Amino acid sequence: MASGIEGLGGLVVRLQREGRAAAGDAVVQMRQVEAEALAASLDPLARLCRVAAETIAQLAEAEATWQPQAQAVVEHVGRLVDFAGKCAAAVADGADITGIVPPALFTVPDVEEAKHFAETVGMFVSHAIGAVAELEEEALAVESSEKPAETIAGIRRTVHTLKAEFGVLNMTAPQTLCHQAETTIDATVEHGQPFPVDVMLQCVDLLKQFLDRLTRDVQASCGDVEPMLARLRAIAAAAVEAAQDAGTSVRLQVGGEFADSLNEFITEARAHLTDAEAAMVALSSEPDNAENINLTFRAFHTIKGVAGFLNLTPLVELAHVAETLLDGARSQRLSFTPEDIDLVLAAGDMIQQMIHSLEGQKGPLQRDWKRLIGALQAAAGRSSGPVAAKAEVAAPAAVAVASDPATPAPVAIAAPAAGSATTAGDQGVELPRPERVAGGAKAAAEPAGEDHKAARVERTIKVSTTRLDMLVDMVGELVIAQSMVLQDPAIQRLDSQSLTRNIGQVGKITRDLQEAAMSLRMVTVKATFQKMARLVRDVAGKAGKKVALAIAGEETELDRNVVEQISDPLVHMIRNAIDHGVETPDERRGKGKNPEGHLSLSAYHQGGSIVIEIKDDGRGLDKARIVRKAVEKELLPANSDPAAMSDAEVFNLVFLPGFSTAEKVTDLSGRGVGMDVVRRNIEALRGKIEIDSRLGHGTTFRLRLPLTLAIIDGMVVRVGGNRYVVPTLSIEQSFRPAAADVHALVDRGECVRVRGNVLPVYRLKEIFGQTDGFDDLAQGILIVVEIDGVRSCLFVDEILGQQQVVIKSLGMSRDRLAGLSGGAIMTDGRVALILDVGTLVESALAS
Amino acid sequence: MSNAVTAAPVATAPKGFSVGKYLSFQLSKEEYGIAILKVREIIGMVDVTPLPRTPDFVRGVINLRGRIIPVIDLRRKFGMAPTEFTNETCVVVVDVGKDNDTTFRVGCIVDTVSEVLTIGAEHFEATPRCANAAGDYIAGLAKLKDRVLILLDIERVIGDLDPAILGQGG
Repeated sequence: MASGIEGLGGLVVRLQREGRAAAGDAVVQMRQVEAEALAASLDPLARLCRVAAETIAQLAEAEATWQPQAQAVVEHVGRLVDFAGKCAAAVADGADITGIVPPALFTVPDVEEAKHFAETVGMFVSHAIGAVAELEEEALAVESSEKPAETIAGIRRTVHTLKAEFGVLNMTAPQTLCHQAETTIDATVEHGQPFPVDVMLQCVDLLKQFLDRLTRDVQASCGDVEPMLARLRAIAAAAVEAAQDAGTSVRLQVGGEFADSLNEFITEARAHLTDAEAAMVALSSEPDNAENINLTFRAFHTIKGVAGFLNLTPLVELAHVAETLLDGARSQRLSFTPEDIDLVLAAGDMIQQMIHSLEGQKGPLQRDWKRLIGALQAAAGRSSGPVAAKAEVAAPAAVAVASDPATPAPVAIAAPAAGSATTAGDQGVELPRPERVAGGAKAAAEPAGEDHKAARVERTIKVSTTRLDMLVDMVGELVIAQSMVLQDPAIQRLDSQSLTRNIGQVGKITRDLQEAAMSLRMVTVKATFQKMARLVRDVAGKAGKKVALAIAGEETELDRNVVEQISDPLVHMIRNAIDHGVETPDERRGKGKNPEGHLSLSAYHQGGSIVIEIKDDGRGLDKARIVRKAVEKELLPANSDPAAMSDAEVFNLVFLPGFSTAEKVTDLSGRGVGMDVVRRNIEALRGKIEIDSRLGHGTTFRLRLPLTLAIIDGMVVRVGGNRYVVPTLSIEQSFRPAAADVHALVDRGECVRVRGNVLPVYRLKEIFGQTDGFDDLAQGILIVVEIDGVRSCLFVDEILGQQQVVIKSLGMSRDRLAGLSGGAIMTDGRVALILDVGTLVESALAS
Repeated sequence: MSNAVTAAPVATAPKGFSVGKYLSFQLSKEEYGIAILKVREIIGMVDVTPLPRTPDFVRGVINLRGRIIPVIDLRRKFGMAPTEFTNETCVVVVDVGKDNDTTFRVGCIVDTVSEVLTIGAEHFEATPRCANAAGDYIAGLAKLKDRVLILLDIERVIGDLDPAILGQGG
């Protein structure tokens, strides 16, 4: 018997490898083992073998019946071999085999039925695999689809078909799954929720795995679908709930006929909101100034008016309740609290968001909107006792006038309200103005003062920046062309007074024109500063500190691009100043300071550039601590002595990347969070940043920015036959070196002594590989340049002069040629290269 | 198998060739052609400001009516003997680039420009294998009645200008 059982081991392997081909041998072997078992009186084994042999023979009749059962056959034969082995061992030991549990009989209930079922399943599976793959594709396409609704409808159809087919085959688990998926899709579509792509894909994976198993085993189960069902149900429930909760975005839409007015509305509304925000922030510092409330009221009123005209109902509602609250304050019906200021600011933010959504961005949530309206209404509804006595002012009537001009109101009351409405209307919006009629002569007379104010608003038009840049470019060319004409030898030979006079006149007009063109790009820093005012309020509130902000020079003008790009660095620095610089009120009291910290933000001109200054009266920078930190971070040698370093050297450390992180982690008192980013931003604008600080007395950051990005002040130098422009901003001085001051260091290039400092000398001629130009230092000029606090000397042949140049790209798709920041067209029409001193020195060091 | 199928048409009509008008110009003794749609304008030789640390075929930059553009010397690019600039020397200003956003305007210095020719498919002939330095940049040959025009794939000529500069400059 042993021989037959031993042979069985190999059989399992063969069945696994060869499948049906090995079935015949399997039957023969089973029969052999059966005979051996009978001989050894191992009846259970013999019976198992007989049944197995019969079943295998039946299954092997056709591939269709074999295939689904192949795995089961292998498993069963495996169990059988195991059992046979145990029996054989027991017999050899003379033990009883009754203790060994035989495996179940291997039977297929009805092979014919199995065959049929397998065929049906086979057909279904091949179809279903395709359908599921399609489903996956569609689910992935939903997010990028241009017509998501159609894609989702397609998904729904596919899921539905799958559900029906699973149903026919009596596979309840996947059927339920498809059913729930269908329900969930319907729920999300109905309630305008995003399509649950992730969960759909998980379903797809589950079905795929199931189908994969089905191809191998028609009896395979789908596994536990309950977790997936639960997930799908949760999404459906969330969709329904979200719809009830109005969690969708506020939908704003403007009819096609108003599309033109929309842009105008957006621009205007933004301007009004900025004004309102500034007024509200100002109100918190000077609560008695009624003009702040009036201004805000007018802003909201105007927005409401135009939004009403454009049928932007949610916006109108919000503006209206905010207006009601403000009107209550205006008419002294209720006292205006800081909470009210917050509410009005929140209303402003919400309107901003709605405007954003008009521009196609994500809008505010319905829920938040409703909540805010509720809060505003509640605030407007409360009436503070004593003030309410002034009810004869009849504020409600005024509200009625403002919100519903058709309501007839007593003349005396209508007048002031009509006045404000008129002013609002004059700022560019045609409102229906029956108030004038209702108010009569008195209404017309009273608002005269305010009308006057509105008239001062400058008329503006909007121009695209591309057109503006084009104009500036062309004017730049004109300037060059003009000077080329002027310097033309033929012209210069002519000796005509009138020609000289006329050319002079053209020159003057050209310069004026250039200035005017440049000024078109200039905007005031006002809007940016106002944003900072808001930031100070918010950050101070969050940090539990009291900070008063003083703003100066907000009318200072800067290039539009510069203004846009200083906003981020300013936010960083102000946040730092409040977070780390200004102490808590208690700490300040302990130090004998005013518990309220002072922060000043000012802008002014200084020597051809604009300076923006952020000054606080907080802790100040601790030199010793900064140096210690830098040594720890190995940014400085270990023996660095803070006393021996200049303030600038120490303070510049906070700009080093990596330094800031250390500060943050250890929560050291100094500044530095994100300061490297700040410096990089400012340098990208060709600006500079300086720090002044006294320990215990505060810190001042000074940003020195160019007036415009397009023009720089440059020193034109000559090296051989080439001209270069060195930005004046990075030049400290220039001098002709005395031979005695120049030293050649072995392997380290040359150095020169300048006022006691030894500075490296870089020859432009060598850096740029020119063959012409002076070799003797004493013949040319050394220019001392400073970048990041590091000074070095550039050797050039001659300084030709100083002039403003328009920076132009060198026309390479990427401009960053090491050492050059661009090109300038000189007055003779030729191109001079503008040096980028930072990368120039770097590349000189590298080579 | 499928590779062979897709590769076959490339051999007869390489990328960069299309039927249409070509600007012909002289370089050394050969006559070359650039698809006229790429050509923006032709200007006489002007003062060139050398651009340091760039390959020698990059002559430098010029002022093209207020816009600074790089100019390359096709003789140097193709490894031909240098000559003095003459009155005939021209700068052919071409616009290359995939789309409008990344258009790259470059001037190409040539000995002289001749004429604008219409090249049809019947004139076109695939490039014979040649070891010429310009070989990589040739889209094909145009066989005309009495002469042969070498059609340049200007996109490829300019295409490797930028990385070359960055490679040396950085």
